[in-house]
Amino acid sequence: MKSREQEYREIFMAEALEYYDAMSRHISELERNPADEPALNELFRLMHNLKSNARAMGYTQIGEAAHHMETIFGLIRSKDMTFTGPVVTVLFDGIDTIGEMIRAVGADQEASDISFLLENLDRLVRGESPILEDTQEEEEANRKLELSDLVYIQIKKLDHLLNLVGELIIDRDRVLTLSQEIGNPALMAAAAHFSRIADDLQYSVMDARLVGVGSLFNKFPRVVRDVAAAEEKDVELTIVGEDIQIDRNILQIITDSLLHLVRNAIGHGLETPAERIAAGKTGQAHLTLSAQTERDDVLIQVIDDGRGIDVESVRRKAVERGLVAAETAATLDPDAVRSFLFEPGFSMAKQVTEISGRGVGLDVVKLAIDSLGGQLRVDSVMGQGTTFTLVLPTSIAVKGALLFVLDERNYAIPLMHTDSVVSLMPDDFHVVGGMLLARVQDENLPVVPLRRLLHNGDGPLAPASKAELNGRQDIIIVNYSNRKLGLIVDRFLRQQDIVIKPMSKPLDTIDLFGGVTLLGSGQVCLVLDVPALTRLFLARRP
Amino acid sequence: MPETEKNAKQEAVIQLIVFRLGDEEYGIRIEQVKEVTITPEIARMPKTPSFVKGIANLRGDIITIIDLEERFQLRPAGEELVATTYTLAIEAKDYTIGIMVREVPQPLSIPVSIIEKAPEFIQDINIQDKYIEGIAKINGRIVIVLDMLKLLTPAEIMQLQPKGESSAAASRTKA
Repeated sequence: MKSREQEYREIFMAEALEYYDAMSRHISELERNPADEPALNELFRLMHNLKSNARAMGYTQIGEAAHHMETIFGLIRSKDMTFTGPVVTVLFDGIDTIGEMIRAVGADQEASDISFLLENLDRLVRGESPILEDTQEEEEANRKLELSDLVYIQIKKLDHLLNLVGELIIDRDRVLTLSQEIGNPALMAAAAHFSRIADDLQYSVMDARLVGVGSLFNKFPRVVRDVAAAEEKDVELTIVGEDIQIDRNILQIITDSLLHLVRNAIGHGLETPAERIAAGKTGQAHLTLSAQTERDDVLIQVIDDGRGIDVESVRRKAVERGLVAAETAATLDPDAVRSFLFEPGFSMAKQVTEISGRGVGLDVVKLAIDSLGGQLRVDSVMGQGTTFTLVLPTSIAVKGALLFVLDERNYAIPLMHTDSVVSLMPDDFHVVGGMLLARVQDENLPVVPLRRLLHNGDGPLAPASKAELNGRQDIIIVNYSNRKLGLIVDRFLRQQDIVIKPMSKPLDTIDLFGGVTLLGSGQVCLVLDVPALTRLFLARRP
Repeated sequence: MPETEKNAKQEAVIQLIVFRLGDEEYGIRIEQVKEVTITPEIARMPKTPSFVKGIANLRGDIITIIDLEERFQLRPAGEELVATTYTLAIEAKDYTIGIMVREVPQPLSIPVSIIEKAPEFIQDINIQDKYIEGIAKINGRIVIVLDMLKLLTPAEIMQLQPKGESSAAASRTKA
């Protein structure tokens, strides 16, 4: 894998060469028509951008040259100088020199000496006439045309490519299944080869869409500075794991969520220096943005060392809001209580500040993460701080899923939301308040036959009874926002990577299904959406 | 003579795909029909009106399959369609949808002029867009010409059902 520095350099090169080409074009236009103001403005802007980029990358010579050139273009723009005579020659010379220096960066060579150019530019600024050399001929001989090594590509095109690959993977499974059924050795060999190439293609396309998390993280130092200043807090931001790669569209979708979490952390989580010192902490608060990979997932964390979440106060508030009955609330463990924070309209902000507490709550963050098939978790220790963890898929196309059968139909459930699978005998169940409960790994879980949840009208579920359980029951335990729910299905099938196609219109309004996938057999398989299923259960529980 | 023949040919002719629903024959303009196929295996979709039979895989496209006989109550309630049915894949505005019919649909060319406007009161008053384009009489046959694009709007298919009670908004009010 390329180092970050190398990658940045390539990006700089691509942009700089593009600027150089545009500058050459605009200065020629300006020569033909010195009154061409758009061309002049464009030149000024390009020089300015090149200057900033070059200085940020440490290419001071390019930066210096661009800076001097920018000054001259600025003077021409403010009509303090005219684009005529020796000025034209020097500026053309300057752009050529900049082009050479950019190429030198690309070829890893030392930049040539530019003191002569800078001197001439300074003379122009002072109103003296520049020293002109006759270098035309040599330059002509050395002129090379170059194309950049990088291409810019619209994300739309990559999306299309990814969709096509998704279709290909479905067909690959189909071909593999068919070839095994037919059993012809030559066909099987060809199918196996096809399958390998399809895999490679899939990973190449997925790889082309990956960007470093840093491209988002690096926008945060400024955000943190501004928010901290407005909230009168002293915050030190640490960024970890900016090299972790993730699909560009996923990063796009979580941008607002991350912004929200960081603002929240500074606004509510972290204390003022005075409060911190009173609590025996350092006056400066710490905020960490970190990314790491965990198996196929990417974990993004927002960690603060602030006051933490007061579980008891959340518990009270949940009862006040009518989200849970008081006696039930008393029995919930801290994790379950904290998950109320993700309920719509549940804000702990006592007062509305400019930065946070504007009515947009964590529920919005939660919805964004759900839409990606990810998870949002919160851990907190009173007085020590709070950690929000976003568990995100690396790529949106392919997801691990558990396939199961219900009423002779295949369904899939994403592994991201699957906790475990168990098989239990009827004796392992209890009926409590019309709900089935099962004891799994020292936890009492609500269990519901998926068939009843999906098919029985809209009203509350009929009270459960043990009579309807015959023999061994296959249960998938799903986990959504710290709430576990057991779903009784007819039979487990297998675990498989699936490509989820969005539900086509007009059925796309049914949110119970995240989409469909085609199995190798050509069968259509509905993919259940665990967040929607959990909400349906909560709404219909007896 | 050749002159008049030519004139007759120039009269606008439309091609219909004619199929039977209940006891009547219905026609759709051929441009609106993508293909006709034996109904593929259908996966039932929970939480949809019962005339929405489910979704099926049509050459890699996932399409919704509906039963218009059930939708318009053209067959006694509770009676199922025959075992082998055909599906007309219709190109609606931005998606494809399948209509299940019991017999192989047939093409039919008729002059536009014989399509008569349907009487106003036949139109279903519950539906805003008038999807019956007209009625054609051909040798004693009566074919009801439908404008599928008006019939197959998402709101019409889902019967303007709101997002379903599983949505967050609904659970919020119930919780």
